[in-house]
Amino acid sequence: MSTLKNPLELLDRYLQAVRFWLPKTRRQEDLLAELGEDLRSQIDDKEGELGRALDKDEISEILKRCGAPMVVATRLGPKRHLIGPTLYPIYTFVLKMVVLWILVPAFLFIVGLVNLANSNGDWGKAAAATLGGLWSAAFVAAGIITLVFAILERTHAIADVACKWDPSSLPPLEKSERKTSLFQTNCELVFNVFGFVWLLLLPNHPFLVFGPASAFLSIGPIFHDFYLPFVLLAAAVIVRLVVMLARPQWKVFALGSRIVQAAATLVLVNAIINVAGHTVTADWHPFVAVASTLRGTEKYAQFVKIAAIVNVSILISFVGTWIGVCIGGVVQTWELLKYIRKQRISHEPASLQVQ
Amino acid sequence: MCATYYMTNGSTGTNELFENLKLELRRGCLTLAVLTQLRTERYGYTLRKALADDGLEIDEGTLYPLLRRLESQGLLVSQWREEDKRNKRFYRLSPDGEQILSQLLTEWQRINESLNKILQEA
Repeated sequence: MSTLKNPLELLDRYLQAVRFWLPKTRRQEDLLAELGEDLRSQIDDKEGELGRALDKDEISEILKRCGAPMVVATRLGPKRHLIGPTLYPIYTFVLKMVVLWILVPAFLFIVGLVNLANSNGDWGKAAAATLGGLWSAAFVAAGIITLVFAILERTHAIADVACKWDPSSLPPLEKSERKTSLFQTNCELVFNVFGFVWLLLLPNHPFLVFGPASAFLSIGPIFHDFYLPFVLLAAAVIVRLVVMLARPQWKVFALGSRIVQAAATLVLVNAIINVAGHTVTADWHPFVAVASTLRGTEKYAQFVKIAAIVNVSILISFVGTWIGVCIGGVVQTWELLKYIRKQRISHEPASLQVQ
Repeated sequence: MCATYYMTNGSTGTNELFENLKLELRRGCLTLAVLTQLRTERYGYTLRKALADDGLEIDEGTLYPLLRRLESQGLLVSQWREEDKRNKRFYRLSPDGEQILSQLLTEWQRINESLNKILQEA
């Protein structure tokens, strides 16, 4: 039996420790006083039973049974949450949407490529700058979203909206998973093979791109610079389609390779736009030039104007392609993640539904 | 009828599941028991003892916030008073509390009867 000058001091120390974790309000002080009274009553009862004062160990036993100060304070204190159970699913949905569906694709397909273009081909530097930017943006976005939802929680703004919901405004039933048909893949393959052959014939047969205008227009320098990457990309697409036809069950490959294709296209188109944009001179003809045989002829100036219009049109179409591929990339990434999530859920053994 | 069952691994998971379900089951019963006991004025410790004597143990961290909640809902009234040279907070049922308790007891009996019937049928 251990001795202490005043064993009840232990009780005061205990209450002080509980008080530390409680908000300093009247209600909490009241609760603490009641807890103290309860514990004193327990000690009194025990002392009455034993016919003597309790020692430190016996008081410790009572306090231990009551629980650790922090745990007791959690039970006694108000139930505090930044975002309550009603708003929490919407909060996580918005957070996921902003971070995964907006920030990640935007940084991957836009900021990343801009960084790459400005890094003079230094991939490591571009990747570090992009990831750093993504981290900061995600952090700030998460902070702002949390703050907005905390305000909504306090003002009960969503609760009012939730009360006024209309069943007829519910979204339509989701269609069962859309499968890429064999016919669609076959068509894609045929078109891509034709495109590939067309691309191979192009350097020696400019008629295939200019038609009758090939009499006064010729292929510009950018075409020669980027010809090989385009041929390789076209070949890779054909290989991808062949694999998809041979292994239609490789769903992740089908979805993932589309994203890779989109990324490669973006890198290529981005480089073309950059090169074309940085070669603005008086005689600007990056894509299409006037045939050299016409130089010095009467209509040369007129052909140069036509070539300039064609060049600007091609540049605009490349910018349009870039935007289109960006959007396509985001959609494809979303589809891949959706598929992976579905697969994960269907393989999850933790819960099962029974009829 | 469709129900979702949570599959757990090992006895720890089963125990945890049981504890959670027991807690859910007890939650409503505790409120009813506390309100019933407080037809007679009591302070926290004696209330806990009375409940424990009848087989319903309740810890301090659960009882006092529950008492505060019931008081803020107007079902209980309380006052600090000195007894045996110590300040104690005494609780008793308010007139509104008496009315609600009577309704709750009727409901409890109805649920109990239904449950007994279901258990007999099973």
